[in-house]
Amino acid sequence: MDCGPPVRNLELGIVVHKLIEFIRSIYLVVLFVVLEALAVGYYARSTFFTQARLLARSNAAAGAVHEFFAGVQRYFRLETENRVLLDRVAVLEERLAQYEEAANIDRLKRYILDLGGCSKFRVMTATVISNTINRSQNFVTINRGLRDGVTPDMALLAPGGSMLGYIVDCTDRYSVALPILNTSFRASGKLEGTDYFGSVYWDGVDPHSVLLGELSKYAEPKKGQKVVTTGFSQFFPENVLIGWVESASMNENRTAYTVRLRLATDFARLTDIILVENRDACEVLDLQARQEEDERAHVDL
Amino acid sequence: MYRIVTYSLLFLVTVLLQVFLFDNLSISIYLNPLIYVAFVVLLPVDTAPVAVLFAGLAMGVTMDFLMGTAGINTVATLLLAFLRPYILGSFYSRDDLRDGGVPSPERLGHHVFLNYLVVLVLVHHAVFFAMEALSWSHMLRIIVRIIASGSVTVAAVWLLGRIFTAKFVARL
Repeated sequence: MDCGPPVRNLELGIVVHKLIEFIRSIYLVVLFVVLEALAVGYYARSTFFTQARLLARSNAAAGAVHEFFAGVQRYFRLETENRVLLDRVAVLEERLAQYEEAANIDRLKRYILDLGGCSKFRVMTATVISNTINRSQNFVTINRGLRDGVTPDMALLAPGGSMLGYIVDCTDRYSVALPILNTSFRASGKLEGTDYFGSVYWDGVDPHSVLLGELSKYAEPKKGQKVVTTGFSQFFPENVLIGWVESASMNENRTAYTVRLRLATDFARLTDIILVENRDACEVLDLQARQEEDERAHVDL
Repeated sequence: MYRIVTYSLLFLVTVLLQVFLFDNLSISIYLNPLIYVAFVVLLPVDTAPVAVLFAGLAMGVTMDFLMGTAGINTVATLLLAFLRPYILGSFYSRDDLRDGGVPSPERLGHHVFLNYLVVLVLVHHAVFFAMEALSWSHMLRIIVRIIASGSVTVAAVWLLGRIFTAKFVARL
């Protein structure tokens, strides 16, 4: 009768001891599983925006070093870049000549039109300081930030004037852009000279080609035909070159084409880029917001 | 103490090499060597498993922050750090493990060290590239990326390990 409690205590002691032993034998696994679950959860909830934000934050520290290495690299590309710029100047020169001719013809008309003010697009230049092409979520970091008047949603063009991407996040001195070579990127593109459009995206396969999906079956894309931006985008001006048609295939139910494009922008050797701000973007967005509000009001009534 | 200093240095060197050199290799879409695994691979063989796990965590989080990859580096490096003691144990006898020291071709033998290195890099790169693609539709492409990037990583880690052991191992 008397020896009951000590035995129970002993049993309890053994149980506790065993429990501690057990926990000690598996705590590493538990720790690993918990940490891994946290990391996987963070990745699962992340979007291209979270990733751009991370990159923008880390650039506050690493940006200066990136800039140094980019400067060294840039030196070796000056020659090619110079040639591209000269080509571009020639094209613009030609276009300017055409405009001048046209201006002589209807100068009066132009006077009236010009009263409206300057162009709706503001343009500036920046230098790429880091850029990858070997992931499925690539980003481009440039050396201009809020301090220089860069804001999210500005468009990025290559020196040759072709489409590159748009700004997602800025810090004071640097900005991170979402390039076409990111599987989260979407833009609309059309066959030059027609009204047939589709959505442009990258499938993560080849850094020199992208896809133009959902193109109307009446479009008849021809190899080598130019694909340019539409005027629908809030980021890009109209008629910015995206690439050239390489091949096209009908989808299974024969309702639309999926076209493979050769990219006009060479992402492997990016140095300087052009930033374009749509001054009307704010106004357009405001208008859209107001319209949505109106619609909601209608529904409520 | 000396050990902590040298390994902090190794951490710094691998991070700098990864971010400023290997991340900027815009040569091919298949080439994305993640040489920072060297830090976990080269930890002393007698390091406690918990310490290895936290070393992997620190490296993974650092790389995610600097590469803007939101978690993939952490997931892959944590798994690598968790499996390292088991993989090391399967190549290496228990008594030798207790002696400690940096894993190196001299200590483990060229053949064993290479096997150990290849297995760790394969595990890490397989997880990284599979998670990055997030679909099996480009299976072949993922495998090519794992093998191409993995070979470069193995070569780079081997070199880094040689330099590291030649400079510091005598005093560890």
